[in-house]
Amino acid sequence: MKHFRLILVAGIIVLCIVILSACKSRSSKGGDASPGTSVSSENGFTIRYCPKWQPHAQFAGIYMAMEKGFYAQYGLDVKMLNHIHSSEAIDSLAAGYLDVIHIDLLAAILANSAETKVVNIGQNSQKNTMLLVAKRSSGINSLADFEGKKLGIWRSSSNLITRAFLKENDINMQLVPIEWSINLFLQGAVDVINAMSYNEYHLMLQSGLKEEDLFIADLHELGYTIPDGGFYVTPQFYSEHPEQCKAFMQATKDGWLYAFSHPEETIDVVMELMHKAKIRANRAHQLWTLQKIKTSVMPTAAEIGILKPEDYRNAINLLKQEMDFSRDLPFEEFYPNGAEKRK
Amino acid sequence: MAQKKESKSLAYQLISFVFTFMLIIFAISIFISRSFYSKVMLEMQHNTLRHLVHERIYLIDGILFKVEALAKMARSVVADYNLNDSEKETMLRTLLLDNPELHSLCMADQAFDSVKPKVMYTVRHRFLQRDIQGLDYRYQDWFQIPANTGKPYWTEPWVDTQGKGEMVISHSIPLYERGEITGLLRFDIELKYLQEIITNPDNFKVGVSFLVSNTGTLVAHPDLDLVMNQSLFSLAQEYDEPALSRLGEAMIAGENGFIKIGGKSPFKNSWIYYQNIMSNRWSVGVSIEESVLMEDVNLILLIQTLTSIIIFLLVGLTIYARGLNISKPLKKLAKAADSIGAGDFEAVLPLTDKSQEIATLSQSFSTMQRSLKEYIQNLRITTEEKNQIRGDVIYASEIQTKLVPGNTEHPLGVKELRAYGILEPAGDIGGDLYDYFMLDDDHFCFVIADVLGMGIVAAMAMTMVSTLLLSIAPYYKSSKELLMELNKFLSRNNIESNFVTALLGVIELSSGKLEYSNCGHLPLYVRKMDRSFQKYAQTHSTALGVFENLDIGSDTIQLITGDELILYTDGVTEAMNVNEEFLGIKGLEEIIRNLSLPNPENTAKSILNQVQDFARGSTNKDDITILVLDYKHPRMDS
Repeated sequence: MKHFRLILVAGIIVLCIVILSACKSRSSKGGDASPGTSVSSENGFTIRYCPKWQPHAQFAGIYMAMEKGFYAQYGLDVKMLNHIHSSEAIDSLAAGYLDVIHIDLLAAILANSAETKVVNIGQNSQKNTMLLVAKRSSGINSLADFEGKKLGIWRSSSNLITRAFLKENDINMQLVPIEWSINLFLQGAVDVINAMSYNEYHLMLQSGLKEEDLFIADLHELGYTIPDGGFYVTPQFYSEHPEQCKAFMQATKDGWLYAFSHPEETIDVVMELMHKAKIRANRAHQLWTLQKIKTSVMPTAAEIGILKPEDYRNAINLLKQEMDFSRDLPFEEFYPNGAEKRK
Repeated sequence: MAQKKESKSLAYQLISFVFTFMLIIFAISIFISRSFYSKVMLEMQHNTLRHLVHERIYLIDGILFKVEALAKMARSVVADYNLNDSEKETMLRTLLLDNPELHSLCMADQAFDSVKPKVMYTVRHRFLQRDIQGLDYRYQDWFQIPANTGKPYWTEPWVDTQGKGEMVISHSIPLYERGEITGLLRFDIELKYLQEIITNPDNFKVGVSFLVSNTGTLVAHPDLDLVMNQSLFSLAQEYDEPALSRLGEAMIAGENGFIKIGGKSPFKNSWIYYQNIMSNRWSVGVSIEESVLMEDVNLILLIQTLTSIIIFLLVGLTIYARGLNISKPLKKLAKAADSIGAGDFEAVLPLTDKSQEIATLSQSFSTMQRSLKEYIQNLRITTEEKNQIRGDVIYASEIQTKLVPGNTEHPLGVKELRAYGILEPAGDIGGDLYDYFMLDDDHFCFVIADVLGMGIVAAMAMTMVSTLLLSIAPYYKSSKELLMELNKFLSRNNIESNFVTALLGVIELSSGKLEYSNCGHLPLYVRKMDRSFQKYAQTHSTALGVFENLDIGSDTIQLITGDELILYTDGVTEAMNVNEEFLGIKGLEEIIRNLSLPNPENTAKSILNQVQDFARGSTNKDDITILVLDYKHPRMDS
């Protein structure tokens, strides 16, 4: 009986250890992610990739690179983990739970404000896809009409561009921080709202608003040419695996080219991922996203995947104007992949 | 084969005509019926669907209004009774346990940054609550929208991960203190609860019921793939169906109506009635496929069509039978008509029939038969009479031919003369005459005459002239006396067509002296041995038979051996060629000039041949008479 109790206690302890380790693993938000350096497996060099957001056609190139085996062709075994907030992603990267993360350029530069935490291995987007959308019925038909109105503004670092726009144009608006929902705008609780041209804007159209009823300020066209998402690794990872970083970008580029030339097949894959993730999905919206994102991912065939020095400089300048930011990391250090290419 | 053709001509034509007409009437009738029935059916279904939608709305509004009332009551209690946290919790727990419609509650009634809101829910009637953790609830719709608008708000469906993890819709109501929003109360209803009301097949046997939120999102629909994935606008884009966009706009705007959706969307070919829910301004729609809606109409039309086909067949058979009945007497009639056509005028016609038209037709045929019979009889008599007349004419012609002297080498045996005469009437008989006879042993008389006109009358007149001359000739020695006597006779016996031109001469054989008188006749030619000729155109009076006391003169010509006298009637000079030109005197003289040696027979035949050659091809014909005489031809002397 005594032995039985000992066995029972030992069993409980083992069970607790298993459960705790499982919980820890879950808390990393990375599914099967675990700290440590990447290793080569039977399937190639393993890269733990964390996307910027939940499954959506804005990442179609990455999905198709995986689906069609482009990463494997470059000797990579890319494991896509669940998305997390960019600040958490940067921390997880630094802690060694992730190898490649997908975050905005501004967020990445800000992450390096004290020390170099991330380096860019290539851009997903070449454009600022941010819009400010207003209902004409609220009396807004020009930028000047923004004055005094309520603005639903993202509470992430992305709002820096909007803030710079308001400041430079001397527009005073009542700012209402928002997460991602457009319902605040649809319900009339705010007059103007941040929206991505490939996502929220179309969701508005799918909620009964009409293009002709909306006033749109395209921040890229207004001169705020700071590209959105890019792929980042730690400086250490890059220095140890530069070829894998380049291979990751090349395969991703191939994935995008395939996606743009096979839109219906691509949307099938996207819809499948969305259904698996049990998130709201409709084909028309994903097709719209794929068509819109093409102008951002691939303005020209030559521009796909790269970070341009002028874009980086614009981002640095904007941060310097908007906040106490002084760590001006040289472009070549921020984007070693590009620097090597030029050599 | 012939029988088949017959049946087509009447029965077939009758049937095809009636069928075509009835088919057109039937098609129009079906078209009108369908339009009418469709309209009626549509109106009925409109009402049915409206009732069904009202029923759904009533059920949903009942729940939502109750939740709204509970929320207001809770807010009033919190505001009016200044409850402490424990008392608030007790009140909310009671509400939750007493109202099964409530899925969960959330109270955020403290300063947002200092105290986390609590989510309360039940699991198997056990009350549980917990703080919202790891989530900035301030940016969630249920909190942010009423906090910004200051008004109660029904959320779009969302998943409360802090509660039971189910999809809910929430009613959030702001809490006020001194005019400032100090917190929020959130009352959740599980979306599944509303979905069951909408989609429960037990409640709804026809069509599809669906629920649409304020953004046009399909919140409830039997097709779960659509639910929370598609809005009416996204479907409109995906299936390129603008009518769905219009439906979405109307439903969001809180309107009600009845609309047809086509295209290929899940609502294809359906009629939809929609109306908004009063409490949260969502909208309920019920769609029914047009094919289902028209099932009854199509059944009625099918029955109508089958009935019509049976009627068609019965009418067709009746017409066919009647057609055959009608064609029987017609066949008999046709047979009888064939017999009549073949000459059997005694063929029996069917004079009576049930059909008035057939009977009338038979009687008409009978009348025609009688008329034909009479006509043929008359024709026979007329033909016989004509043949009789024809025979008489031929006989008269023979008589007339015998009146003129036959051609012999020496006329009447007179050795001093040769003569040859030709009389060619235009018809069987003519009005021309030539003759010669002896007045005594030394006086040879000849005459040529032409009675105005042709045919029997002229021939009769000429016969009289010939007979008279023969009878009076022995009493006169001169030409003018003979002709004056003839003129008197013709003038006294005022018969029709008694105008006669004549040239009469008397030759004294011993001396060769010729006395002649020309009464309105054509010139006399005297041809010499040297082939020259002389024309004697002098007339001695007008035509005979006009004036009784006509004074007729005469001239005398001394004939010498070989003189040839050429006499003729107007059939020679008025002979007409195909160009309607007369031969004329000049033409005749041209013929005479080219004649060979004098010989009456040759001369007469030659003139006749050349005149006939000239007139060949012309339809105008007149009697032609030629008389040629020669005096003491040298051959005779020898």
